[in-house]
Amino acid sequence: MIPQSTFNLSFIVNGKSWSGEVPIEETLLEFLRNRLRLTGTKRSCESEVCGACTVLVDKRSVSSCNYLAFEAHERAVLTIEGVAQNDELDPLQQAFIRNIGAQCGYCTPGQIMAAKALLIENPHPTREQIAEWLSGNICRCGAYGAIAQSILEAAQEYQKSKV
Amino acid sequence: MLSQLKLVQPATVREASQALADYGEKAKLYAGGAELLLLLRNGLLQSEILIDVKKIEALHRIRLDDGVLSIGACLTHRALETSTLVRAHAPALAYAESQVANVRVRNQGTLGGNLAFNDPHSDPGTVLLIHDASVVIGNESGERRIALNQFFLDMYATALEPADVLLEIEVPALPAGMKEAYLRLHRYQRPTLGVAAGGLMSDGTLEEVRLAVGCMGPKAERLTQLERKIAGVNLADAKRVLAEENNYLRELLRPVDDLLGSAEYKLYMTGVMLGEALKHVMQNGNELP
Repeated sequence: MIPQSTFNLSFIVNGKSWSGEVPIEETLLEFLRNRLRLTGTKRSCESEVCGACTVLVDKRSVSSCNYLAFEAHERAVLTIEGVAQNDELDPLQQAFIRNIGAQCGYCTPGQIMAAKALLIENPHPTREQIAEWLSGNICRCGAYGAIAQSILEAAQEYQKSKV
Repeated sequence: MLSQLKLVQPATVREASQALADYGEKAKLYAGGAELLLLLRNGLLQSEILIDVKKIEALHRIRLDDGVLSIGACLTHRALETSTLVRAHAPALAYAESQVANVRVRNQGTLGGNLAFNDPHSDPGTVLLIHDASVVIGNESGERRIALNQFFLDMYATALEPADVLLEIEVPALPAGMKEAYLRLHRYQRPTLGVAAGGLMSDGTLEEVRLAVGCMGPKAERLTQLERKIAGVNLADAKRVLAEENNYLRELLRPVDDLLGSAEYKLYMTGVMLGEALKHVMQNGNELP
Protein backbone atom coordinates (compact mmCIF):
# COMPACT_ATOMS: atom_id res chain seq x y z
CA MET A 1 0.00 0.00 0.00
CA ILE A 2 1.38 3.34 -1.06
CA PRO A 3 0.19 6.29 1.03
CA GLN A 4 -1.66 8.82 -1.14
CA SER A 5 -1.52 12.55 -0.50
CA THR A 6 -4.74 13.34 -2.38
CA PHE A 7 -8.14 11.69 -2.64
CA ASN A 8 -10.40 11.45 -5.66
CA LEU A 9 -13.50 12.80 -4.01
CA SER A 10 -16.96 12.54 -5.48
CA PHE A 11 -19.98 13.68 -3.52
CA ILE A 12 -23.09 15.84 -3.42
CA VAL A 13 -23.27 19.29 -1.83
CA ASN A 14 -26.71 20.86 -1.49
CA GLY A 15 -28.08 18.64 -4.28
CA LYS A 16 -25.24 19.28 -6.76
CA SER A 17 -22.53 16.73 -7.49
CA TRP A 18 -18.88 17.63 -7.22
CA SER A 19 -15.87 15.55 -8.23
CA GLY A 20 -12.19 16.30 -7.99
CA GLU A 21 -8.99 15.77 -6.11
CA VAL A 22 -8.55 17.05 -2.57
CA PRO A 23 -5.55 16.90 -0.23
CA ILE A 24 -6.06 14.38 2.59
CA GLU A 25 -5.65 17.06 5.27
CA GLU A 26 -8.30 19.38 3.80
CA THR A 27 -11.25 19.66 6.17
CA LEU A 28 -14.83 19.81 4.96
CA LEU A 29 -15.04 23.34 6.39
CA GLU A 30 -12.08 24.50 4.28
CA PHE A 31 -13.52 22.75 1.24
CA LEU A 32 -16.93 24.39 1.59
CA ARG A 33 -15.68 27.89 2.34
CA ASN A 34 -12.61 28.09 0.11
CA ARG A 35 -13.51 26.00 -2.92
CA LEU A 36 -17.27 26.38 -3.16
CA ARG A 37 -17.43 29.80 -1.46
CA LEU A 38 -20.22 28.50 0.75
CA THR A 39 -19.31 30.85 3.57
CA GLY A 40 -22.52 30.38 5.56
CA THR A 41 -20.73 27.60 7.45
CA LYS A 42 -18.61 29.39 10.05
CA ARG A 43 -15.18 28.72 11.44
CA SER A 44 -14.90 29.34 15.15
CA CYS A 45 -13.51 27.12 17.94
CA GLU A 46 -12.00 24.41 15.71
CA SER A 47 -12.39 21.93 18.57
CA GLU A 48 -15.88 20.45 17.96
CA VAL A 49 -17.22 22.41 20.91
CA CYS A 50 -19.06 25.49 19.62
CA GLY A 51 -21.13 24.15 16.72
CA ALA A 52 -20.69 27.14 14.37
CA CYS A 53 -19.38 24.86 11.60
CA THR A 54 -22.19 22.28 11.86
CA VAL A 55 -23.23 20.70 8.54
CA LEU A 56 -25.14 17.52 7.75
CA VAL A 57 -23.44 14.52 6.16
CA ASP A 58 -26.02 11.93 5.14
CA LYS A 59 -28.50 13.73 7.43
CA ARG A 60 -26.25 13.52 10.51
CA SER A 61 -24.63 16.57 12.06
CA VAL A 62 -20.84 16.83 12.14
CA SER A 63 -18.31 19.52 13.00
CA SER A 64 -16.98 20.31 9.52
CA CYS A 65 -13.86 21.89 11.12
CA ASN A 66 -12.71 18.49 12.34
CA TYR A 67 -14.06 16.30 9.55
CA LEU A 68 -11.76 15.54 6.64
CA ALA A 69 -13.37 16.34 3.29
CA PHE A 70 -12.48 12.94 1.79
CA GLU A 71 -14.72 11.28 4.40
CA ALA A 72 -17.73 12.73 2.58
CA HIS A 73 -16.94 10.56 -0.46
CA GLU A 74 -20.15 9.24 -2.01
CA ARG A 75 -22.21 10.99 0.64
CA ALA A 76 -24.63 13.93 0.59
CA VAL A 77 -23.68 17.14 2.41
CA LEU A 78 -26.23 19.79 3.37
CA THR A 79 -25.13 23.29 4.42
CA ILE A 80 -27.15 26.33 5.45
CA GLU A 81 -27.15 27.45 1.78
CA GLY A 82 -29.11 24.33 0.83
CA VAL A 83 -31.81 24.56 3.47
CA ALA A 84 -34.21 26.93 1.66
CA GLN A 85 -36.22 25.52 -1.27
CA ASN A 86 -35.45 28.01 -4.08
CA ASP A 87 -36.82 31.33 -2.77
CA GLU A 88 -38.92 29.73 -0.04
CA LEU A 89 -37.22 29.81 3.34
CA ASP A 90 -37.37 26.63 5.43
CA PRO A 91 -39.86 26.72 8.35
CA LEU A 92 -36.82 26.71 10.67
CA GLN A 93 -35.39 29.83 9.03
CA GLN A 94 -38.79 31.55 9.11
CA ALA A 95 -39.24 30.70 12.80
CA PHE A 96 -35.74 32.02 13.66
CA ILE A 97 -36.61 35.33 11.93
CA ARG A 98 -40.07 35.52 13.55
CA ASN A 99 -38.72 34.88 17.07
CA ILE A 100 -35.48 36.84 16.63
CA GLY A 101 -33.57 33.62 17.32
CA ALA A 102 -30.25 35.45 16.84
CA GLN A 103 -28.48 38.59 17.87
CA CYS A 104 -25.10 38.79 16.14
CA GLY A 105 -26.01 35.79 13.97
CA TYR A 106 -22.60 34.12 13.83
CA CYS A 107 -23.79 30.86 15.40
CA THR A 108 -27.13 30.84 13.56
CA PRO A 109 -26.20 28.66 10.55
CA GLY A 110 -24.86 26.05 12.97
CA GLN A 111 -27.93 26.31 15.20
CA ILE A 112 -30.23 25.80 12.21
CA MET A 113 -28.23 22.85 10.86
CA ALA A 114 -28.20 21.23 14.33
CA ALA A 115 -31.96 21.78 14.57
CA LYS A 116 -32.42 20.32 11.09
CA ALA A 117 -30.60 17.14 12.15
CA LEU A 118 -32.71 16.94 15.32
CA LEU A 119 -36.02 17.28 13.46
CA ILE A 120 -34.98 14.64 10.91
CA GLU A 121 -34.36 12.19 13.74
CA ASN A 122 -37.07 13.34 16.13
CA PRO A 123 -39.91 15.32 14.49
CA HIS A 124 -41.61 16.06 17.84
CA PRO A 125 -38.89 17.08 20.31
CA THR A 126 -39.74 18.43 23.74
CA ARG A 127 -38.09 21.62 24.98
CA GLU A 128 -35.80 19.45 27.15
CA GLN A 129 -34.77 17.31 24.17
CA ILE A 130 -34.03 20.48 22.18
CA ALA A 131 -31.90 21.84 25.04
CA GLU A 132 -29.99 18.55 25.31
CA TRP A 133 -29.41 18.28 21.55
CA LEU A 134 -28.31 21.90 21.17
CA SER A 135 -26.04 21.84 24.21
CA GLY A 136 -23.20 21.55 21.68
CA ASN A 137 -24.12 24.79 19.88
CA ILE A 138 -22.96 27.85 21.74
CA CYS A 139 -24.66 31.25 21.35
CA ARG A 140 -22.56 33.91 23.03
CA CYS A 141 -25.40 36.45 22.69
CA GLY A 142 -27.63 34.12 24.71
CA ALA A 143 -30.56 33.75 22.31
CA TYR A 144 -31.22 30.22 23.60
CA GLY A 145 -34.86 30.80 24.61
CA ALA A 146 -35.78 32.19 21.21
CA ILE A 147 -33.80 29.44 19.46
CA ALA A 148 -35.65 26.67 21.34
CA GLN A 149 -39.00 28.38 20.67
CA SER A 150 -38.17 28.62 16.95
CA ILE A 151 -37.41 24.90 16.78
CA LEU A 152 -40.66 24.00 18.58
CA GLU A 153 -42.61 26.14 16.12
CA ALA A 154 -40.77 24.77 13.09
CA ALA A 155 -41.54 21.23 14.23
CA GLN A 156 -45.24 22.14 14.18
CA GLU A 157 -44.91 23.74 10.75
CA TYR A 158 -43.24 20.62 9.33
CA GLN A 159 -46.07 18.58 10.75
CA LYS A 160 -48.74 20.83 9.17
CA SER A 161 -47.07 20.75 5.77
CA LYS A 162 -47.09 16.95 5.86
CA VAL A 163 -50.87 16.74 6.43
CA MET B 1 -4.71 24.21 9.62
CA LEU B 2 -3.60 20.63 9.56
CA SER B 3 -0.15 19.96 8.15
CA GLN B 4 0.24 17.67 5.15
CA LEU B 5 -1.13 14.15 5.57
CA LYS B 6 -1.10 10.97 3.54
CA LEU B 7 -3.66 8.21 3.66
CA VAL B 8 -3.78 4.43 3.43
CA GLN B 9 -7.02 2.48 3.70
CA PRO B 10 -6.27 -1.15 4.53
CA ALA B 11 -9.07 -3.67 4.01
CA THR B 12 -7.82 -6.19 6.57
CA VAL B 13 -6.34 -6.17 10.07
CA ARG B 14 -3.18 -7.79 8.69
CA GLU B 15 -2.71 -4.95 6.18
CA ALA B 16 -3.31 -2.32 8.87
CA SER B 17 -0.77 -3.94 11.18
CA GLN B 18 1.70 -4.24 8.30
CA ALA B 19 1.27 -0.53 7.56
CA LEU B 20 1.94 0.30 11.22
CA ALA B 21 5.07 -1.85 11.15
CA ASP B 22 6.25 -0.29 7.86
CA TYR B 23 5.71 3.36 8.72
CA GLY B 24 6.36 3.25 12.47
CA GLU B 25 6.10 6.51 14.38
CA LYS B 26 5.19 8.45 11.24
CA ALA B 27 1.79 6.73 11.04
CA LYS B 28 -1.27 6.78 13.28
CA LEU B 29 -4.37 4.62 13.21
CA TYR B 30 -7.35 6.74 12.27
CA ALA B 31 -10.99 5.86 12.86
CA GLY B 32 -13.42 8.72 13.60
CA GLY B 33 -10.66 11.28 14.02
CA ALA B 34 -12.64 13.13 16.69
CA GLU B 35 -9.63 13.27 19.02
CA LEU B 36 -6.71 12.53 16.69
CA LEU B 37 -7.33 15.45 14.33
CA LEU B 38 -7.58 17.87 17.26
CA LEU B 39 -4.22 16.75 18.58
CA LEU B 40 -2.63 17.02 15.15
CA ARG B 41 -4.05 20.50 14.58
CA ASN B 42 -2.80 21.72 17.93
CA GLY B 43 0.66 20.28 17.39
CA LEU B 44 0.39 17.90 20.35
CA LEU B 45 1.04 14.94 18.08
CA GLN B 46 2.98 14.63 14.83
CA SER B 47 1.94 12.29 12.08
CA GLU B 48 2.46 12.11 8.33
CA ILE B 49 0.31 9.10 7.50
CA LEU B 50 -3.21 8.21 8.56
CA ILE B 51 -4.06 4.52 8.51
CA ASP B 52 -7.83 4.61 8.10
CA VAL B 53 -9.20 1.40 9.65
CA LYS B 54 -12.85 2.07 8.77
CA LYS B 55 -12.64 -0.05 5.59
CA ILE B 56 -12.06 -3.14 7.75
CA GLU B 57 -15.52 -4.65 7.84
CA ALA B 58 -15.04 -6.70 10.99
CA LEU B 59 -14.48 -3.54 13.04
CA HIS B 60 -18.09 -2.46 12.44
CA ARG B 61 -19.73 -5.62 13.77
CA ILE B 62 -21.77 -5.89 16.94
CA ARG B 63 -23.09 -9.20 18.21
CA LEU B 64 -24.35 -10.89 21.35
CA ASP B 65 -22.93 -14.34 21.82
CA ASP B 66 -23.41 -16.46 24.91
CA GLY B 67 -24.05 -13.46 27.16
CA VAL B 68 -21.04 -11.51 25.84
CA LEU B 69 -21.63 -8.41 23.73
CA SER B 70 -18.80 -7.90 21.21
CA ILE B 71 -18.56 -4.34 19.94
CA GLY B 72 -16.47 -3.54 16.85
CA ALA B 73 -13.88 -0.85 17.57
CA CYS B 74 -15.13 1.41 14.75
CA LEU B 75 -18.70 1.74 16.00
CA THR B 76 -19.48 5.34 16.88
CA HIS B 77 -20.66 6.58 20.27
CA ARG B 78 -23.94 7.53 18.63
CA ALA B 79 -24.41 4.05 17.16
CA LEU B 80 -23.88 2.51 20.60
CA GLU B 81 -26.06 5.05 22.42
CA THR B 82 -28.97 4.14 20.13
CA SER B 83 -28.24 0.41 19.74
CA THR B 84 -31.06 -1.79 21.10
CA LEU B 85 -28.45 -4.47 21.86
CA VAL B 86 -26.37 -2.12 24.03
CA ARG B 87 -29.42 -0.57 25.72
CA ALA B 88 -30.67 -4.02 26.76
CA HIS B 89 -27.32 -5.61 27.64
CA ALA B 90 -25.54 -2.67 29.29
CA PRO B 91 -27.96 0.25 29.81
CA ALA B 92 -25.39 2.24 31.79
CA LEU B 93 -23.00 1.99 28.83
CA ALA B 94 -25.73 3.26 26.47
CA TYR B 95 -26.31 6.12 28.92
CA ALA B 96 -22.58 6.91 29.24
CA GLU B 97 -22.30 6.98 25.43
CA SER B 98 -25.23 9.42 25.28
CA GLN B 99 -23.26 11.78 27.54
CA VAL B 100 -20.07 11.92 25.45
CA ALA B 101 -19.41 15.55 24.39
CA ASN B 102 -22.14 16.55 21.91
CA VAL B 103 -24.04 14.77 19.16
CA ARG B 104 -21.55 15.82 16.43
CA VAL B 105 -18.65 14.25 18.31
CA ARG B 106 -20.77 11.14 18.98
CA ASN B 107 -21.57 10.86 15.26
CA GLN B 108 -17.86 10.84 14.45
CA GLY B 109 -15.94 9.40 17.42
CA THR B 110 -15.65 5.65 17.94
CA LEU B 111 -15.52 3.54 21.09
CA GLY B 112 -12.29 1.91 19.93
CA GLY B 113 -10.65 5.27 19.33
CA ASN B 114 -11.79 6.51 22.71
CA LEU B 115 -10.32 3.53 24.59
CA ALA B 116 -7.10 3.44 22.56
CA PHE B 117 -6.56 7.14 23.23
CA ASN B 118 -7.23 6.69 26.97
CA ASP B 119 -7.96 10.31 27.71
CA PRO B 120 -8.48 10.35 31.48
CA HIS B 121 -11.60 12.51 30.96
CA SER B 122 -13.66 9.86 29.24
CA ASP B 123 -16.98 8.16 29.98
CA PRO B 124 -17.40 4.67 28.46
CA GLY B 125 -14.31 3.01 29.98
CA THR B 126 -15.62 3.50 33.52
CA VAL B 127 -18.84 1.57 32.81
CA LEU B 128 -16.96 -1.12 30.89
CA LEU B 129 -14.87 -1.80 34.03
CA ILE B 130 -17.89 -2.89 36.06
CA HIS B 131 -18.75 -5.31 33.23
CA ASP B 132 -15.27 -6.89 33.46
CA ALA B 133 -14.82 -6.00 29.79
CA SER B 134 -11.86 -7.11 27.68
CA VAL B 135 -10.40 -5.85 24.44
CA VAL B 136 -9.40 -8.02 21.50
CA ILE B 137 -6.20 -6.88 19.83
CA GLY B 138 -4.90 -8.03 16.46
CA ASN B 139 -1.63 -7.82 14.57
CA GLU B 140 0.16 -9.75 11.85
CA SER B 141 0.77 -12.77 14.04
CA GLY B 142 -2.77 -13.19 15.35
CA GLU B 143 -5.13 -12.02 18.06
CA ARG B 144 -5.00 -11.71 21.83
CA ARG B 145 -7.34 -10.64 24.59
CA ILE B 146 -6.55 -8.26 27.46
CA ALA B 147 -8.77 -7.34 30.41
CA LEU B 148 -9.65 -3.66 30.19
CA ASN B 149 -8.17 -2.92 33.63
CA GLN B 150 -4.83 -4.16 32.28
CA PHE B 151 -5.27 -2.39 28.95
CA PHE B 152 -5.43 1.04 30.60
CA LEU B 153 -1.86 1.67 31.75
CA ASP B 154 -1.67 5.38 32.46
CA MET B 155 -2.80 8.76 31.19
CA TYR B 156 -2.97 8.41 27.37
CA ALA B 157 -1.12 5.09 27.61
CA THR B 158 -2.44 1.60 26.89
CA ALA B 159 -1.10 -1.91 26.43
CA LEU B 160 -1.21 -1.51 22.63
CA GLU B 161 2.13 -2.41 21.02
CA PRO B 162 3.38 -0.45 17.98
CA ALA B 163 1.82 -2.75 15.32
CA ASP B 164 -1.36 -3.58 17.26
CA VAL B 165 -4.90 -2.84 16.12
CA LEU B 166 -7.77 -2.69 18.60
CA LEU B 167 -10.47 -4.93 17.09
CA GLU B 168 -13.30 -5.46 19.51
CA ILE B 169 -14.52 -4.71 22.98
CA GLU B 170 -16.04 -7.72 24.73
CA VAL B 171 -18.66 -6.86 27.32
CA PRO B 172 -19.86 -9.78 29.47
CA ALA B 173 -23.33 -9.51 31.02
CA LEU B 174 -23.52 -8.51 34.69
CA PRO B 175 -24.41 -11.36 37.09
CA ALA B 176 -28.10 -12.31 36.85
CA GLY B 177 -30.31 -9.71 38.56
CA MET B 178 -27.59 -7.09 38.96
CA LYS B 179 -28.65 -3.54 38.00
CA GLU B 180 -26.27 -0.84 36.82
CA ALA B 181 -26.01 2.94 36.62
CA TYR B 182 -23.55 5.58 35.42
CA LEU B 183 -23.53 9.13 36.74
CA ARG B 184 -21.32 12.04 35.88
CA LEU B 185 -20.50 15.51 37.01
CA HIS B 186 -19.51 17.76 34.14
CA ARG B 187 -18.82 21.26 32.90
CA TYR B 188 -18.50 22.38 29.28
CA GLN B 189 -19.28 18.87 27.96
CA ARG B 190 -16.23 17.34 29.65
CA PRO B 191 -16.71 15.08 32.65
CA THR B 192 -15.14 16.19 35.93
CA LEU B 193 -16.01 12.84 37.41
CA GLY B 194 -17.79 9.69 36.26
CA VAL B 195 -18.96 6.85 38.48
CA ALA B 196 -20.39 3.47 37.54
CA ALA B 197 -22.15 1.13 39.95
CA GLY B 198 -23.61 -2.33 39.69
CA GLY B 199 -25.66 -3.80 42.50
CA LEU B 200 -27.49 -7.00 43.28
CA MET B 201 -30.21 -6.30 45.83
CA SER B 202 -31.79 -8.69 48.23
CA ASP B 203 -34.26 -7.57 50.95
CA GLY B 204 -32.93 -4.03 50.98
CA THR B 205 -29.27 -5.01 51.26
CA LEU B 206 -26.61 -4.83 48.56
CA GLU B 207 -25.69 -8.47 48.19
CA GLU B 208 -23.03 -7.88 45.56
CA VAL B 209 -21.57 -4.56 44.40
CA ARG B 210 -19.33 -3.36 41.60
CA LEU B 211 -17.94 0.17 41.55
CA ALA B 212 -15.71 2.12 39.18
CA VAL B 213 -14.58 5.74 38.99
CA GLY B 214 -13.19 7.66 36.03
CA CYS B 215 -11.81 11.14 35.21
CA MET B 216 -10.25 11.67 38.64
CA GLY B 217 -6.66 10.72 37.95
CA PRO B 218 -4.60 9.05 35.23
CA LYS B 219 -7.10 6.28 34.39
CA ALA B 220 -10.46 4.78 35.28
CA GLU B 221 -10.32 2.31 38.19
CA ARG B 222 -12.42 -0.49 39.72
CA LEU B 223 -12.83 -0.08 43.49
CA THR B 224 -12.55 -3.75 44.44
CA GLN B 225 -11.57 -3.18 48.07
CA LEU B 226 -14.54 -0.90 48.64
CA GLU B 227 -16.89 -3.32 46.87
CA ARG B 228 -16.05 -5.99 49.44
CA LYS B 229 -16.69 -3.61 52.33
CA ILE B 230 -20.10 -2.61 51.02
CA ALA B 231 -21.34 -6.09 50.13
CA GLY B 232 -24.05 -7.17 52.58
CA VAL B 233 -25.07 -3.74 53.91
CA ASN B 234 -28.03 -1.45 53.15
CA LEU B 235 -27.82 1.84 51.24
CA ALA B 236 -27.54 4.07 54.32
CA ASP B 237 -24.62 2.00 55.66
CA ALA B 238 -23.04 1.89 52.22
CA LYS B 239 -23.09 5.70 52.07
CA ARG B 240 -21.48 5.84 55.51
CA VAL B 241 -18.69 3.50 54.39
CA LEU B 242 -18.14 5.55 51.23
CA ALA B 243 -17.75 8.75 53.25
CA GLU B 244 -15.07 7.10 55.40
CA GLU B 245 -12.94 5.86 52.51
CA ASN B 246 -11.29 9.09 51.41
CA ASN B 247 -7.78 7.76 51.94
CA TYR B 248 -8.39 4.62 49.91
CA LEU B 249 -9.94 6.68 47.10
CA ARG B 250 -7.10 9.22 47.18
CA GLU B 251 -4.41 6.55 46.89
CA LEU B 252 -6.18 4.56 44.20
CA LEU B 253 -7.55 7.39 42.05
CA ARG B 254 -4.69 9.92 42.45
CA PRO B 255 -6.89 13.00 41.88
CA VAL B 256 -5.29 16.26 40.78
CA ASP B 257 -6.26 19.91 41.12
CA ASP B 258 -7.29 21.35 37.79
CA LEU B 259 -9.71 23.83 36.23
CA LEU B 260 -12.58 21.43 36.85
CA GLY B 261 -12.02 21.46 40.60
CA SER B 262 -9.62 20.76 43.45
CA ALA B 263 -8.57 17.20 44.31
CA GLU B 264 -10.39 17.56 47.65
CA TYR B 265 -13.61 18.59 45.96
CA LYS B 266 -13.41 15.70 43.51
CA LEU B 267 -12.75 13.20 46.29
CA TYR B 268 -15.70 14.47 48.28
CA MET B 269 -17.94 14.33 45.22
CA THR B 270 -16.75 10.80 44.40
CA GLY B 271 -18.22 9.57 47.69
CA VAL B 272 -21.46 11.48 47.08
CA MET B 273 -21.81 10.32 43.48
CA LEU B 274 -21.06 6.67 44.30
CA GLY B 275 -23.85 6.81 46.89
CA GLU B 276 -26.19 8.37 44.33
CA ALA B 277 -25.24 5.73 41.75
CA LEU B 278 -26.09 2.97 44.24
CA LYS B 279 -29.42 4.68 44.87
CA HIS B 280 -30.06 4.67 41.12
CA VAL B 281 -29.18 0.99 41.00
CA MET B 282 -31.81 0.30 43.65
CA GLN B 283 -34.34 2.27 41.59
CA ASN B 284 -33.71 0.51 38.27
CA GLY B 285 -30.72 2.35 36.86
CA ASN B 286 -30.38 5.15 34.32
CA GLU B 287 -33.30 6.63 32.47
CA LEU B 288 -32.22 6.33 28.84
CA PRO B 289 -32.81 9.31 26.56
